[in-house]
Amino acid sequence: MKKTIAVLIVVMTLLSVSVCASATTLNFLEVMTSPERTALLKSMIAEYEELNPGIKINLISPPYEQSDQKATLMLNTNQPLDIIEVRDYTVKQFVNNKKLTDLTDYVNEWSDAETLTPVATAAATTVNDIPYLVPQSIFIKALFVRTDILAANGINDTPKTIEELVEVSKKITNPAKNQYAFAWRGKSFEIKFADLFALPYVEDFKNAKYIYSEDESYFLDPGFKEGMEAYITLFKEGVPKDGINWGFNEQINAFVSGATPFLIQDPDAIPLIDKLLGPDKYEVVTLPVGPHGFSYIDYGFCGLGIPSYSKNKKEAWDFIKWMSSPEKNGYYNEHYGPLPVHTTTFETNEHFQGKHYVAYDYEMNHPEQFLFVTYDLASEKWPGWAKIHETDMQSVLLGKMELDTALQKWADYWQK
Amino acid sequence: MKLLLKIGKALLLGVFLILALGPLYWVIVTSLKGSQEIYAFPIRYLPESLNLENYEYLFNISNFGMYFRNSILISLIAATGALFISMFSGYALSRFREQKLKMTLLLAMYFTQIIPTYMLMSPLFTSFAKIGMTDSLLGLTMVYIAMMIAFSTIMAKSFFDRIPVALEEAAMTDGCTRTQTLFKVVIPLTLPGLAAIFSFAFVNIWNELFLAVMLLSSDHNMTVPVALNSFISKAGVSWGVLSAGIVVALLPTMIVFAFAQKYIIMGLTEGAVKG
Amino acid sequence: MAIMVPAFVFLTLFVYFPIVKGVVISFQNYTLYDMTNIHWIGLDNFRAIMTDINFGFLQIIINTVIWILVSLLFQFLLGFILALLMKEPFRGRGIYSALVFYPWALSGFAIGLIWAWMFNGQFGIINDVLLRLGLISNNVGFLSDPRYAMVSVIVANIWYGVPFFAIMLLAALQSVPAELMEAAKIDGAGPVRRLFSITIPYIKPTIVSTTLLRTMWIMNFPDIIYAMTGGGPSNSTNILATQMINKILQFYDYGQGAAFGVVIMLILFAYAIIYLRISATKEDATI
Repeated sequence: MKKTIAVLIVVMTLLSVSVCASATTLNFLEVMTSPERTALLKSMIAEYEELNPGIKINLISPPYEQSDQKATLMLNTNQPLDIIEVRDYTVKQFVNNKKLTDLTDYVNEWSDAETLTPVATAAATTVNDIPYLVPQSIFIKALFVRTDILAANGINDTPKTIEELVEVSKKITNPAKNQYAFAWRGKSFEIKFADLFALPYVEDFKNAKYIYSEDESYFLDPGFKEGMEAYITLFKEGVPKDGINWGFNEQINAFVSGATPFLIQDPDAIPLIDKLLGPDKYEVVTLPVGPHGFSYIDYGFCGLGIPSYSKNKKEAWDFIKWMSSPEKNGYYNEHYGPLPVHTTTFETNEHFQGKHYVAYDYEMNHPEQFLFVTYDLASEKWPGWAKIHETDMQSVLLGKMELDTALQKWADYWQK
Repeated sequence: MKLLLKIGKALLLGVFLILALGPLYWVIVTSLKGSQEIYAFPIRYLPESLNLENYEYLFNISNFGMYFRNSILISLIAATGALFISMFSGYALSRFREQKLKMTLLLAMYFTQIIPTYMLMSPLFTSFAKIGMTDSLLGLTMVYIAMMIAFSTIMAKSFFDRIPVALEEAAMTDGCTRTQTLFKVVIPLTLPGLAAIFSFAFVNIWNELFLAVMLLSSDHNMTVPVALNSFISKAGVSWGVLSAGIVVALLPTMIVFAFAQKYIIMGLTEGAVKG
Repeated sequence: MAIMVPAFVFLTLFVYFPIVKGVVISFQNYTLYDMTNIHWIGLDNFRAIMTDINFGFLQIIINTVIWILVSLLFQFLLGFILALLMKEPFRGRGIYSALVFYPWALSGFAIGLIWAWMFNGQFGIINDVLLRLGLISNNVGFLSDPRYAMVSVIVANIWYGVPFFAIMLLAALQSVPAELMEAAKIDGAGPVRRLFSITIPYIKPTIVSTTLLRTMWIMNFPDIIYAMTGGGPSNSTNILATQMINKILQFYDYGQGAAFGVVIMLILFAYAIIYLRISATKEDATI
């Protein structure tokens, strides 16, 4: 027995040495980790390795909650990395710290670049109009509706405007029966939900470059206040008090249990809700618009970049290019959940023509109705802003702070 | 009266048990539920049918078996290492005559416990990166030993403090050397304390998350808390699998507690004191 | 003296040395958004965190003190009671101890997640049980109502921390010489009197060291609060340790995060010295 093991060890060592000698190993750090997605990535990497015998890809998958910090530590100490997943919240700091490669030359020679959606192109060039990453997935929000619960309450239409949403919510809410309306978000980037109600009430917002920035913000616009008031009414009349402390899990819990038939979420919630509830019990429709007939899509994204100090940039780019082809990217997002980055995928991939994705497709293709705008992620005021907003918003909902005070405070914060 | 006291005691023990077990019951039930039952309302206190898919997922799709082995190995080695080193330092601290120095050294031990781990993370990572020790189980084990030394020393000292010096002097007059005295007289007397220290060091290491995430990278090096944490993603918590993971991860620590308990309770009375 | 060398080698390499750098950061402009421009700014970080209009420093300090004192008090009392109950042998004591001590064997983030779910004001099992028992008539927003949020996170923390004291004190109780107890009994001392005049003085070194250590650990234990409330609602559960993490993870401001770390260390250091002085009054050996 011992002998066999010894022989095995020797053989394995020899094998691994001979493989290592001829292969280039690329280290790939993912940050939007989930067990399912890691398994998906591994299977795709295996496929790529088979096609490219000289390449080995070593996937590093820190848990989601710690991953941004790990990525930062690894980049800042020049740890061997060749491919890194970059996301909306981290791209600016990686670029500032000179840790990402400018991909312009690569992208210019990449034929698939032509079919990138406008959202994807914008995402790629978030910082300084230079492509520091090739987006892999896009996250935009839509309204999830439990039509079964609405029908049970005598409602057969899905709300098209914020006003309708608030009205329907008031109608169906009945605390005695544990029936509420809206899956509130009270913490962890609740700002993304609050702003979706306030800004569509601001007429000037139509021409905005950013949702707000140091150059331009809308907190003191009377429309903004009106929108916030609608949002607060929704909370008071359509949400359990507990909503103040709800994050993603509680939102899903509320929606799946039927307590709140309305939920605003990204498309990667679809596989999850399908699993917890079943695909037939809900619909996904476009976001409710404001009184001026528009809302906006604030897109989130994640994509792949190459660390500036990587020694295998050419090989890394080849893998990124492969991952980003319409075919592979479609396959990847079909199993992961968010939206793919090529226009052609929506035309050819049956999955993204399915009923749960129609609304997202519509939102992306009607820019007059769904403005195409994002937070100024490159601003120094952005980090931590969501936490400040969360605290103030909780104070407002608890009656500890006047809405006007909060609005003034926010305006002051964003003033240069 | 005596019976009443006994019943009262049993009742109290029962209350403690129920309060401790309540959350565990919820975790176990959740781990046995199918995915469509987890958020069902009204709450279901029993799973509809016994559903083992979460446990299957844990061991078949996730490499939990391997993470489990890594964690057992690291926790055992680091806890033993820390205990061994701390036995000496705790003993020395307890027997120091020089008060000022003793106080300083003791404070130096306590000082390590007031440091937030977050403040060590980045400097530790940077130095590990410089010597190429990131992603090394050995490196992490060393850090864990360091993390456990201060606590173990302080506790060991407090247990040694209660052993009368006279006992040692007697042994030494009988011809024992200092080391012999330590191993033959003092340590047997403090076994309960040492067992308690070991079990705490083991459990703390078993649960350590942040340093493991930062200092390890490869999948084959992952530990149990990292694996459990990875069931939280942008798309929420996978309650079923996470619960199953928590239940499985509890087993070794419970065994350690049950095992250590024997020594903890084997007090002075049963030991060699009386002689 | 020589036998302390291994311990201090480890501590120097992995604790003392890194912490120096950690402290240095608190005096620097050190933000992730601008790592190419790190420079000295004196006490600016400390000034900034103490005058922050969004996260009132005074409230954070008060929250921290409540969090520590209440948690520690109940963890100790309940742990001590449990240790006394378990001191005499009874059938199944081994299994009992494994079952009653397991909370200590859970990861912090897991405890936070589980309790956040159980304390949920709408779908939580605790509300459900209380409703069924008729103890409440409406759902209680345990984590969303500032009046209950701190109580709720402290309950979770107490639940987690009782086993530590129970085990340590149980071990210490075994060392109280039986002859001493017998003698006191013969002298006519009742159980309460024996507890206060023999048991407690005898295990005082363990009590001192465990309570001091626990204070430090509870102060530096943001996991439960972070998972349950994130410091909310409206800052009502925000403590120094959670705000430090906020500064690092949300604001990318390592400098201010480190400043919070230094504040934590200063408070605990002063506390430790005072605590050790007071508890060491009688004779030397008790520290």
